[in-house]
Amino acid sequence: MPIHLCVNTQTPLVRFSPGYKPGDGSTGPPSLSDLVEERDYQFTPGGVTRMVFPLLKRMVDDGVLKCPYWVTLNPAGPERLVADGITFSHIRLQDRVMKGYGHIKEDMWKTLHGIGKGAMPHGWPLWEKEYADYTYYNRLSSERLLALDKELDFDVFYIHDFQQLPVGHMLGSLKPKVFRWHIPFDDTIIPPDWKPFLLTYFKSYDLILVSCRKYLDALRKFGFMGHVHYIYPYIDQGVYRRSKRSELEAFCAKFGIREQDRVILVVARMDPMKGQDLAIRAFAKVARSVPDLKLVLAGNGSFSSSSHGIGLSKGAHWLGKLQRLARRLHLEDRVVFTGHINHLELQAAYERCEMTMLPSWLEGFGLVVIESWLYKKPAVVSSKAGVADIIVDGENGQLADPGDIDGFARRISALLKDEKLESRLAESGLASSRKCVLEEGLKQESEMLQDILSGQKRKGDGHAI
Amino acid sequence: MDTPYEQYIMPVVTFAVIILVTWIVSYLFNLVFVGWYRIGMSLVRLHVQRIATIVIWSVGLILAVEQLGLRIDLLLLLIGILGVGTIIAATDVLRNLAAKYFSDVYIPFKTGDTIRISGHSGKVIEINPVSTVLLTENEELVSIPNSLFIKEPTVNITPQAWKEITIPIAVGGQVDLPAFESRLIKSINKFKLHLDERFPPILTVKRREKNFYELVLTLMIKEPSKKDEITSEINRKIAELTEQMKRKEKKKTA
Repeated sequence: MPIHLCVNTQTPLVRFSPGYKPGDGSTGPPSLSDLVEERDYQFTPGGVTRMVFPLLKRMVDDGVLKCPYWVTLNPAGPERLVADGITFSHIRLQDRVMKGYGHIKEDMWKTLHGIGKGAMPHGWPLWEKEYADYTYYNRLSSERLLALDKELDFDVFYIHDFQQLPVGHMLGSLKPKVFRWHIPFDDTIIPPDWKPFLLTYFKSYDLILVSCRKYLDALRKFGFMGHVHYIYPYIDQGVYRRSKRSELEAFCAKFGIREQDRVILVVARMDPMKGQDLAIRAFAKVARSVPDLKLVLAGNGSFSSSSHGIGLSKGAHWLGKLQRLARRLHLEDRVVFTGHINHLELQAAYERCEMTMLPSWLEGFGLVVIESWLYKKPAVVSSKAGVADIIVDGENGQLADPGDIDGFARRISALLKDEKLESRLAESGLASSRKCVLEEGLKQESEMLQDILSGQKRKGDGHAI
Repeated sequence: MDTPYEQYIMPVVTFAVIILVTWIVSYLFNLVFVGWYRIGMSLVRLHVQRIATIVIWSVGLILAVEQLGLRIDLLLLLIGILGVGTIIAATDVLRNLAAKYFSDVYIPFKTGDTIRISGHSGKVIEINPVSTVLLTENEELVSIPNSLFIKEPTVNITPQAWKEITIPIAVGGQVDLPAFESRLIKSINKFKLHLDERFPPILTVKRREKNFYELVLTLMIKEPSKKDEITSEINRKIAELTEQMKRKEKKKTA
């Protein structure tokens, strides 16, 4: 029997362009296939587009799901939207509420990532006046889920990401509720005072999913005694193909990359947590001895920091800082900021680069490493990324501690100098990528849903792959 | 000499009219009571409603029977004997019911708490009018008569139980729940000095009906001695807020 699933995320699949005018809905919800990418909308960067959407699409195709619904925040979108058999129900917020919600969410995000640890520079979000806006958005989401459930009688609710955590409690439904925690979970950086808040809401779910074993262990140490498993994030490798020569040339021409240039690629949204500054500093150390080396920083702000999204300005601020840093290090002509790139350009970027870097201070997982491996490009990865769980340093990737500029620089130099090492890491990286492809995710997620619906609880913790 | 109309038909008609009036009074009472008394424990509300209905019907029946020319002193005697008999027969049950009423008010535990009483300990999974059911660590069900709670010391061993305040709230079904909650949280924020900041205020929807929501607000206080003051202050805020929201909704509908 196909499962009737309702998903809830903050981040929408697509963000609509300012020029897009949603109709009155009298002719039914618009279909994404009738709209034009870039003109009407852009796919939102991150896990929602690369992981959740392909999963649901495949589950619909395979008959695992029937008519899934997806409730998400989308201030500029139509009330409903249909894409590949999935119906999106969009939540809109007034600007004032959106601002308050964004403020609390950002404070929570910073605290959960250990920014300003011990100092509590952002106050205690639960008692700021904007917490009312945060609660408002979550209650609006849970009410929408309940209204749809009344109409459509779902089998299971699948809530994604930390900012939606209260939704499970607010739903109050006895139907199964699964929560996927996408960001890192590190019990050593979460203030102990957050325990009651987080544990109260975690307990309202029947299952918590995290992205790797170390987060599961941390959640246990934190005191959560309920059901928790881990499933590695995954991507649909089918959508990554080799670039045509013309696409490659267009990409290089657009971003000033010459034939002789050796390229290091960082794919990440513009955010201090992503450590692009470390990448520039490590690059500066290597660039002196490799004159044709270029660093390409691909990505712009997230949904939260986009003016079409929640409107937080951190993406733009961070970009400015990075540009100033590159100028100060006299690297302005060797560090390329691409901003948002479309899928064809992303493919070309992977194709053209020699290696990738993931220098994040903390990273929920790091699917860009899997993408890099699919193109047989070795990756130098922060040991604090979730993907480090499947990397053995020097075997299928290179690990360096975040902030260790010399460590990153040494590993980049080693790869640039040693072709054999580069190709060995690339080959074994490709083999490791199979742990994080859609087929694997589909298998794990389908089993998880079937288990939870049949009332079975897996023995022990975790979900070994 | 009375005509057959005066002798037979008139009393029967009067009897029927009194029964009808009694029914209307009882119906109206229930309607008004349900609408008026939404805040509070649903069980207490149910008992008050039932007792009042029985009283209305008893008075109606006595008056109606009198119209038929029957001796009501006999009927009153019968009702009295039945009442006394019921009280004697159900002493234990009544004691438990009374204890339940007092325990609701004075004994600090609720469903979900872990308590210890008279050598038994476990999680409270049900509080009914007669007994409180505990689930022990060995997964056994223990039924504790409610009367025991006013005789024996009860220990609530739930962590932080002394801090917790739960405030039942009832709002009309037409209220914009997200907006209500958001305004409630803003109001509570003003009392944060007295609340344990580690615990956010949590609003739980206990019951959803077409015409109303039964909600419970849970807060954690810093000082147990301030419990009553805080509860009363927050209750006052809630009443103001529900009134404002009601007016707003009315205006919107108009």
